[in-house]
Amino acid sequence: MIQDKYAEEIKGILARYPTKKSAALPLMHLAQREYGHMSREAMQEVASILDLDPTHILSLTGFYTLYYEEPVGKYVLEVCNDLACALKGADEFAAMASEKLGIDVDETTADGLFTLKTVMCLAACDRAPMLQCNLAFHEHLDEAKFEALIAKLRAEAASGKMAPSVVEKIAAYAKQS
Amino acid sequence: MSDDLVTLSVDGVEVSVPKGTLVVDAAKKIGNDIPVFCYHPKLEPVGMCRMCLVEIGLPMRDRATGEPLLNEDGTPQINFGRGLQTGCTVQVSPGMVVRTKTDPVEQARADVIEFLLTSHPLDCPICDKGGECPLQNLTMRHGRGNSRMVFADKLHMEKHVPLGDLIFLDRERCIQCARCVRFQDEVAGDPVIGFHNRGRHLEIATLSEPGFDSYWSGNTTDICPVGALTTADFRFGARPWELTPVATLSPHCPSGSNMTVSTRREAKAGGRSVIKRVMPRQHEAVNEIWISDKDRFVHHFAESADRLTQPLVRKNGKLVAASWTEALDVVAGKLQQAGTAVAGVSGDRLSNEDLFLFQELFRKGLKSNNLDLANGRLAGGDIVAQVGISSGSNLKDLGKGDVVVVVASDLHEEVPVWWLRLKQAAERGAAIVTLNVRGTRLDKYAKHALRYVPGEAVATLRQLVNQSKVETDGQSDDPIAAAAATVGSAGNLVAFYGAEGLTYDETESVAKLLANLLLLKNGDGHAGKKNNGLIPVWPHNNTQGAWDMGIHPSFAPGYKALPEAGLDAHAMYEGAASGTVKALYVLGADPIGDGLMDGRGKLDFLVVQEMFLTATAAAADVVLPAQSWVEREGTFTNAERRVQRYYPAITPVGDSRADWQILAQVGERVGLGKPALAASLVFRDVVKAVKQYKGMDYRSLAKYEKQWPDVGGDDLYYGGNAYENRSGLGQQWVAAAESGKVGMFEVAETAVKSSPGLKLVRTAALYTPGTLISHSAALLGPRMAQPTLSLSTADARKVGVADGNRVEVTANGMTMTATARVGDAPDGVALISGVAYVPGTAVVQIRKLQEEKVA
Ligand code: SF4
Ligand code: FES
Ligand code: FES
Repeated sequence: MIQDKYAEEIKGILARYPTKKSAALPLMHLAQREYGHMSREAMQEVASILDLDPTHILSLTGFYTLYYEEPVGKYVLEVCNDLACALKGADEFAAMASEKLGIDVDETTADGLFTLKTVMCLAACDRAPMLQCNLAFHEHLDEAKFEALIAKLRAEAASGKMAPSVVEKIAAYAKQS
Repeated sequence: MSDDLVTLSVDGVEVSVPKGTLVVDAAKKIGNDIPVFCYHPKLEPVGMCRMCLVEIGLPMRDRATGEPLLNEDGTPQINFGRGLQTGCTVQVSPGMVVRTKTDPVEQARADVIEFLLTSHPLDCPICDKGGECPLQNLTMRHGRGNSRMVFADKLHMEKHVPLGDLIFLDRERCIQCARCVRFQDEVAGDPVIGFHNRGRHLEIATLSEPGFDSYWSGNTTDICPVGALTTADFRFGARPWELTPVATLSPHCPSGSNMTVSTRREAKAGGRSVIKRVMPRQHEAVNEIWISDKDRFVHHFAESADRLTQPLVRKNGKLVAASWTEALDVVAGKLQQAGTAVAGVSGDRLSNEDLFLFQELFRKGLKSNNLDLANGRLAGGDIVAQVGISSGSNLKDLGKGDVVVVVASDLHEEVPVWWLRLKQAAERGAAIVTLNVRGTRLDKYAKHALRYVPGEAVATLRQLVNQSKVETDGQSDDPIAAAAATVGSAGNLVAFYGAEGLTYDETESVAKLLANLLLLKNGDGHAGKKNNGLIPVWPHNNTQGAWDMGIHPSFAPGYKALPEAGLDAHAMYEGAASGTVKALYVLGADPIGDGLMDGRGKLDFLVVQEMFLTATAAAADVVLPAQSWVEREGTFTNAERRVQRYYPAITPVGDSRADWQILAQVGERVGLGKPALAASLVFRDVVKAVKQYKGMDYRSLAKYEKQWPDVGGDDLYYGGNAYENRSGLGQQWVAAAESGKVGMFEVAETAVKSSPGLKLVRTAALYTPGTLISHSAALLGPRMAQPTLSLSTADARKVGVADGNRVEVTANGMTMTATARVGDAPDGVALISGVAYVPGTAVVQIRKLQEEKVA
């Protein structure tokens, strides 16, 4: 229960807003950091802290792409395939990535390292094809660059130097802003 | 012309509307139908669908002088800007010129339709909405008839998504207008459905427990402009054009909600016409265009297989089928034999015509005043006749400066329509004052939520009333004084009172105290003025009518005091047990099943007139099968004293007869002359006997006028599929205070006797098991209220009970089992819900039951 575990942090978040409802997004980041994704239980918990119906939290989770309803891998690869990127071959790029990782879009590799997703415009249209990995942009991509990226991340994970997971990074980022 | 009116022209037609009116509504007022999908006149505009695009021009002014610029011919120059605008979000302004029939407008409409249909399955032939679908109609009117999109590229999505067990979502059909989501949030105050995901993947979802947890869920299916939301009741039940709509009234609720039953003759029902669905019928002074799910879904009892179909007469100890003639002869003979030891009790669901003839049978035929409601909970019909809410009032008129007091009632559970209307009054600025033994849902909208200690309701209310007389500056730390200051400064004042936790006598004191509150200021009080007065939270749909018809041991019809009072129900039940009452007539009630009567006692004769073989009927000598409300016509009087008609909708079940008919036939046998041939003729006699009903007849009750917003008919895309009211708005009878002076009521001081120990208070739940709901339960089964005992954390600890424990509850010699809920009750009070009515507050014993092992 984040309610008990992070009582002080939650109190701090609530104190920042005039109404409880406004604290939904930061609390969701906290819950996601704790549980790895926005599970139904996480939604219920956040809702009960805020005296809201959990449906409201479900709506927010579905609206913002940085909340995950399903468990995700350590690295989330989000390939933009919105119009501009699509014209520069984003769909083919995503298909290639999916084949290289051996998973479909919205799936996670068996080792729990990578999740592949497609997303709407990330405002890097002039550098397509591109993807975002744990919030960092990788641009002007092609097959070779993609393979290199995957190899680097695999090595990073194998080295045991655990870089923060995607949900930790998102939560930390949300906290700063 | 008043400053608050704005004049504009729409397609060359001038119209003047109040400031703030939206362009679509202004156009509608002059019959110009700007098509809409997301806009709904009862919801805030959001401008989401773009269907209402029109050209809007404003008069040009000289920048330097501010003078209007004129054309050569002297007409004002109009600037239409560069694009089309959404008529649902733009407010009118003086001199505005709106064009709704130009090429760009028609083009835009066709484009929006084409766009909406890109992901739409076009499965009208199997869609419940087909035939009354705004999308279908507007596509016919404004669409192109073809599409530039590739049909094979349509996104296919799930078609049977249950949002709980009552409402189903067809994801493909949804056009994302958010009417449903906004209704639940803005109107119902239950934001339990929401948008999930974005773009083409957007869908309506719920996480509430149970799914779509709201008493109002069915209304979303009326305002959904496509067939995306359907009810479990009507889904795939019939095509709309096969249905015959029949005007009816809520058979449950004292609000008198106007409804329509849609019927169809069916081969599988042997050619009978049966109910396919129940929908709201517009009455802006009663239920607007909404009905609760109880009204919508609890109608199956009328067609239940358990209905009684023929008269039963006890022979050799057994109830066996008999002819009407035989049964009626037995009844008349036995009643007469009993002489003065005859008595009658009735339920309060029956029509005025039924109740009036019951009264005639007893007072004129059997010369007895032993007549009462079988289970009277709430006193004060005679007080309501004096200071009841004035005729012509409308809760919708209450707003800033007005005050509504609610005593001993949980309106959300008892009369949801009133809860909804008071919530809206609060949102318009009215101050709500609640006075209850515990928190209710209305408290969220209340300015003052007052509490009383169990047993001290009358004393606390007396304090409030006395302090309201005192002029104060409104500043006080004492909650009662603060509330009194609010009440004292009320513009309009409406007071509701119920029976939660009160004895019958206490409810009478409460009614009188509230009457005095309304009468304060020496005759210049609130009583008698429009939008002021008393509203009793009667337990049933026609309790008001029962009072009006003289179903009371001391009042004849029209509240004429009788020189000699008869026995009240309590005395009759005692008399039955002791043998002083010899014959009892039970009309539409179940005193044995309700625990009011311990079997038939020493009665020589018991006759029960009913739809079902209730516990009382099973103990009777004669059982007379009565028709349900949808099988015949009649009138109900709501708690605002509005007399309204309902109409026959389905074929009568078996050999059952209308209650008034049966009573007239018994009456004929005891010498009351030829029975009346129609309910309308009985109503004529009602009007003769009840002076308050003067001037009413079936024709005047059927009068209607156009109401705003437009619903139904050709306008179904605008206000939703609620039916337009063409069958009558009814008539409100005039309370005494409206036409003359009413004196203050004496309320005897009662000593507050606080006894130690935990007190039991029974609270209402909308879906509490009862004869009607239990015979319609399939649909609401999972939502029926289970016996639940709520305790405060401290009290739970004292009696050693934890949340979720099964407990045995004993009070007043009655024992019930329930599941415990900890934390939701004030200290010192044990709240029990989901059980039959328990009057007053009683000292309670609670015992934890050993958990049964779950296999
Ligand atoms: S389900 Fe109906 S009312 Fe709700 S958003 Fe979709 S189309 Fe609109
Ligand atoms: S379309 Fe891909 S970043 Fe803009
Ligand atoms: S945008 Fe006006 S009706 Fe939808």
